[in-house]
Amino acid sequence: MDNLQIENNILETIKTAFKVEGKVVREKRVEITAHKQLISSILLFAKNQHNYIHLNHITCVDWIEDGEFEINYIIWSPTTKNTLIIKTRISRENAQMENIDNIWDQANTYEREMREMYGIEFPGLIGEHEFILEDWDEMPPMRRDFDTLEYATKTFYQRPGREDAKDVREELTKQSGEEIPEFAKKYSREK
Amino acid sequence: MNFFDLKGLLQPLGAVKQLGKKPHTINYPYETKRTADRYRGLHYNDLEVCIGCGNCSTICQNAAIDMINIDGITAKNGDSGLRPRVDNGRCCWCALCVEVCPTGSLSLTKDYIYVTPDANAFLWTPGVSNPDAKNNISFTSDTNLSLSMYQRVPMRELDGMERVKSFAEVVLGYSEEEARAEAQRCISCGLCSNVCPDHMHIPEYINAIAQGNDNDALKIIYDNNPFPEMCGKVCTRRCEDVCAIQVRGEAVAIRWLKRYATETAPTAQKIKDIVNPIIAEPNGKTVGIIGAGPAGLTAAYYLALRGFDVTIYEAQSYAGGMTMFGIPKYRFPLDSVKKQVEYMESIGVKIKYNTKVGRDISFEEMHTAYDAIFVGIGFQKAWTLGIENEDIPGCIAAVDYLNIINRGDSFDVGKKVAVIGGGNVAIDGARVSARYGAEVTILYRRRISEMPADWEEIEGAEHEGVHIAIQTIPTRIIKGENGKVSGIEYLKAEMIADENGGRPRPVAIEGSETILECDTVIGAIGQEADYSWLPESFKAKIEIKRGMMIVTNEFNQTGDPKVFAGGDAVNKTADAISAIADGYMAVKGISKFLLGN
Repeated sequence: MDNLQIENNILETIKTAFKVEGKVVREKRVEITAHKQLISSILLFAKNQHNYIHLNHITCVDWIEDGEFEINYIIWSPTTKNTLIIKTRISRENAQMENIDNIWDQANTYEREMREMYGIEFPGLIGEHEFILEDWDEMPPMRRDFDTLEYATKTFYQRPGREDAKDVREELTKQSGEEIPEFAKKYSREK
Repeated sequence: MNFFDLKGLLQPLGAVKQLGKKPHTINYPYETKRTADRYRGLHYNDLEVCIGCGNCSTICQNAAIDMINIDGITAKNGDSGLRPRVDNGRCCWCALCVEVCPTGSLSLTKDYIYVTPDANAFLWTPGVSNPDAKNNISFTSDTNLSLSMYQRVPMRELDGMERVKSFAEVVLGYSEEEARAEAQRCISCGLCSNVCPDHMHIPEYINAIAQGNDNDALKIIYDNNPFPEMCGKVCTRRCEDVCAIQVRGEAVAIRWLKRYATETAPTAQKIKDIVNPIIAEPNGKTVGIIGAGPAGLTAAYYLALRGFDVTIYEAQSYAGGMTMFGIPKYRFPLDSVKKQVEYMESIGVKIKYNTKVGRDISFEEMHTAYDAIFVGIGFQKAWTLGIENEDIPGCIAAVDYLNIINRGDSFDVGKKVAVIGGGNVAIDGARVSARYGAEVTILYRRRISEMPADWEEIEGAEHEGVHIAIQTIPTRIIKGENGKVSGIEYLKAEMIADENGGRPRPVAIEGSETILECDTVIGAIGQEADYSWLPESFKAKIEIKRGMMIVTNEFNQTGDPKVFAGGDAVNKTADAISAIADGYMAVKGISKFLLGN
């Protein structure tokens, strides 16, 4: 008997019902990629028809090069002990995603977190805008174009006693007598 | 309610039934709970393993890590001598520093409680401030699951049995995509630049390649190496031996990346367009150079850029020295040499070919005619084997053999060839002979692991069907009936441990004489310089000790202040990049000597 029968079954069922792409990642793990408008329907279908009653996580990845966020819904079924990952991509510009806390209450927490950390709006989402960050008026900090180092440098003062810090490349050139030409210095490691 | 309430008196005694059971309350004395296996607590750094590359400090998003000098740790090859210090007040324990630590010396421990009223006490040096924490390490980096890339982008090569059919270049070079991917593995620490004899700006040009700016990469390379295509193909690359990534993975392919950058300029004109060198106005000073090898060419190139009138005297009909005549063309094609020399000539370097100093022009004449002289004669003369019959036809030194083949002449090696030696020259002799269809055996006194040749060369030879007979000591060459070589007799050797702690010596086993039939014997046990051009009158000033020219300062000036020297005859490492470095330093010396700057 094919070891991945359960996985293949659920994959085929969802593929047929919603005309979406997907694959069996490995035993007990199936991955579906769908348009954002289909997400709530697929989640409901998986929850009600196939007993994926548990929402593990909602995660977000910033694909800045593609100008998109990827949102992953990770759900689990106690009957088959299978994990289903449903992925979708949304635009980074005016990022908006459907609120699903009517399917799982706890989605509310994940969505508030994504709203604060990535700046993704979930129309109809009830809950304080301030979630973990206090008095935050910068760009949402989990966006990859947020410069953490710059923020940390300007926000937190430097403790005295750190003036003896050395730059490794500079120290090495002192040791060897190497002279890096001016035009090449822009390729040296950032200090 | 009765005054005497029996129930009320006895009920508390019910607690007695819990006697002997495990209490649900906290134990006294307090027992700490086991911390999670991958807990990210305070830092620990193994100071012996750390090489001070500073990658932790660069990645830290909180600017919490400084690189500092600490007592008892000094810089050495492959170690900057610096160690990280963490401001725990800024650290957020994201552990990126641990993830990107190329050596794996930095880790996080299970210790997370540190209480002190002194805020400045949170600034500490992991490993120095908490030496005991090494027994409590929890979060470490894993090379299989890491942000750093430990595997090199493989280099495509011709297949072994395909290679021996011709002198086609064996290494095929990186494609643009491969080069970008490989360049991105570099962490730009610069440990490599320090061991490079020429101190090339390695992190900078690799970074330029990673960012897709090949022209900038080439320009950076030409800043202190005018012969980079040669280095890109055949350099001894000590840089890769100290690459931070090689501690736990494969070194960044520095040599191949340099090669890639140089190959983006396929002609001399293109090199000139990209490098766009600034040539200073003529300063009226003349410099004569003996030998157009890497040292001489380097000196000539940078002197010409600084406005000197430079003339090289070269005994052979091509420039390039040993890299031209000593390295087989499947490693370093003729076009590569020509392109680079043509470029140097285009910026004003003059080369007089077929002009041997001491034969066609005397050293005295040069000494009078030029304001300064640079000597880059190299090691041209092979050591003799010192065994019977080595002067008969069929017995040749590897350097002479390679010279004949590289200048386009032919030499019949016959069907079977014996090569004596274990260095790169021996391997070159063997692999060239294999290309002429000969069955080749290398006779080497010690074990393969002790061969001075590059392991890639040894492996290459084996793939091409070269047999290596280890622990063999040649005793005589056998003369056939026609007066030519018909075989070689050798003794087998056993390795005897050296009492003084040196490496084991091969000692011949008596009665183990074996005869190997062969048509040609190629000797490659080392070379030396030929000083016949140097008149006796100069030897008082220009000192020669044990076959090496003695230089008196870092600028490679000899006892005669007008004469500078470099290359194999001066440095002990005897490789091309050291020769280039010598040439480069001599340029500084000559400028200082003649112009005072």
